[in-house]
Amino acid sequence: MSEAARELSGQGSVDGDLTERLLAFGRALRSEGLPIGTGNILQFSRAATLLGPADFYWAGRATLVVRQEEIPVYDRVFYRFWGGDFGTPVQTTYDVEVIRAIAEDPEETGDEEEQRESSPDATQASRLELLREKSFSELTPDELAELASLMARVRMSIPTRRSRRRRPARGGDPDLRRTIRRSFRTGGEPVERSWRDRRRRKRRVVLILDVSGSMASYSRGLALFAHAVLRSDTRWEAFCFGTRLTRVTKALATADPDAALQRVAEEVWDWDGGTRIGDSLKRFLDRFGHSGMARGAIVVICSDGLEVGEPAVLDEQMGRLCRLAHRVIWLNPLKAQAGYQPLARGMQAALPHVDVFASAHNLASLEALADELAAV
Amino acid sequence: MVLLSVEDQTFASVEELADALVRESYLPDRGLATAVYLALAMRRPLLLEGEAGVGKTEVAKTLARILDAELIRLQCYEGIDAGQALYEWDYSRQLLYVRALQQGELKLEERISELYGPDFLLERPLLKAIRAGSSAVLLIDELDRGDDEFEAFLLEVLSDYSVTVPELGTIVAASPPVVVITSNRTRELHDALKRRCLFHWIDFPDPEREAEIIRIRLPGISDALARSVARTVARIRELDLVKLPGAAEAIDWAHALALLGADAVTSEAARASLGWAIKNRDDLRRVELQLADLIDE
Repeated sequence: MSEAARELSGQGSVDGDLTERLLAFGRALRSEGLPIGTGNILQFSRAATLLGPADFYWAGRATLVVRQEEIPVYDRVFYRFWGGDFGTPVQTTYDVEVIRAIAEDPEETGDEEEQRESSPDATQASRLELLREKSFSELTPDELAELASLMARVRMSIPTRRSRRRRPARGGDPDLRRTIRRSFRTGGEPVERSWRDRRRRKRRVVLILDVSGSMASYSRGLALFAHAVLRSDTRWEAFCFGTRLTRVTKALATADPDAALQRVAEEVWDWDGGTRIGDSLKRFLDRFGHSGMARGAIVVICSDGLEVGEPAVLDEQMGRLCRLAHRVIWLNPLKAQAGYQPLARGMQAALPHVDVFASAHNLASLEALADELAAV
Repeated sequence: MVLLSVEDQTFASVEELADALVRESYLPDRGLATAVYLALAMRRPLLLEGEAGVGKTEVAKTLARILDAELIRLQCYEGIDAGQALYEWDYSRQLLYVRALQQGELKLEERISELYGPDFLLERPLLKAIRAGSSAVLLIDELDRGDDEFEAFLLEVLSDYSVTVPELGTIVAASPPVVVITSNRTRELHDALKRRCLFHWIDFPDPEREAEIIRIRLPGISDALARSVARTVARIRELDLVKLPGAAEAIDWAHALALLGADAVTSEAARASLGWAIKNRDDLRRVELQLADLIDE
């Protein structure tokens, strides 16, 4: 039980001073994850006095809640706290061990490789070269850690688009503001004329990673990659999906790769589950993509295409996606295998809507993707 | 704890405010009326989120009418900057003025300060609202379309309601304007800005309230038609559509049906006018297929 929760249950029996109760209510909400500061509590107190007891609920709704997702949490805490019924707080349990399990599950080939690589005559450079080429599925935990530092150096060059912001340039439209400013140096005569042009902005890149069972051996490598690129550019967004979709952009924003993966593991619920690509994409488009995130963006989907849902749904959603996005890139780790044919029903449904179909089984292939992106 | 008293209360209670909104053809639910009341009483910006077409912008417009205040609207878009939101110097006029000065025998140095006087200042919405103070309702529409830089800049303006123009000095609002911010959530706004605001999420209205909204907005419409449209729209919202129709669409559709002379949503009239409620081709097809189940005939 958290400290705030303990304090709260300690006060439950006594009907303390109202101020104390308000503060305790704030703490209770905070312990459920709402970002509530002292300022919010002060506003809440003001609102509560203005409105009187009948609208107490709404006083808090307007001052303590800042996004739609927080409303159910607020409701729950509110009724628990002011409804007089102090039940056991809903304790969310996370399956934090999953991602470690993926990493700590050494494949037989992994051990072999490790022995070979630790031989004295292998130089550092060729070792790194090997690491780049080695499939994510065959990496040992140590190698993964090393790969994380390699990935931190990957720089993606993202295609740009013209923004509406302008900046000084050598040509373009006349920049009257600067022209006037400079004319004062020459006694009001605009001798030097200034120009401005529209800035170019990087397009947004949205990564959608499949973390279902069939992708388990690649998930960690791909998540590390997502972490590396998200760190280098703030306009990236990342999602994970198996049977359902989770936005992991914020979780991956942590500096330390291990901590970031830990947070992702806590937020994603369906590691190692089945794959519902069509449904997950639909959720992405309904909730985020359609309202702007996918518009003109580069959307990168990493999945093996082993869809358990209806291929027709995937077909329809991929159609929606490719109408919104600038480019749709599908990375399939299986593509690197000799003789791979995109026969999976899901893959077949998706392919007609994909601009670039590439592999993503090791760092070298992701670097190749970086080049690919630079070319679009 | 010191609880601040209300300095100036335009409305004595939430009910009074709700009544005033209804008189101006806006039907709020309890939550929205309370949020608006608090925003006025606590002089805080009101941040409204919700699906497109639930009436976010309309709140500001109606508020301006009931407060008898000027509505100043700042439509945000990508790349909007201080020059477009706050103020800009009228450079062309300044150039012409400098020319005129040169032709005369006046010393440029003496007149140069005039170049940065009020005559050459182009007021943009934010500056205008700060000058107008409490006699204005400032609507900052679709803030999520602006970028991070603009949001940070706006936070600065909204935290002390003052603007510094280097050549003129600092302009402070005598009393802050009423500020309504809307967002369609294409992007999450920053917490710092959200903390400054009172927040309200506007939901789709339930069928009874929607019927009442339609009657209020379309005086003279038959009661039966308003109800029928509200019920049908509620059912349409249960479908899995790309873009759900909002109250605005329901009103438009009811209007169209009334013009077609319908007394209720019938499949024939609906087919002819469905485009007023559904604005996406895939959705249109889906609704048409299930039309028989959606209307009560």
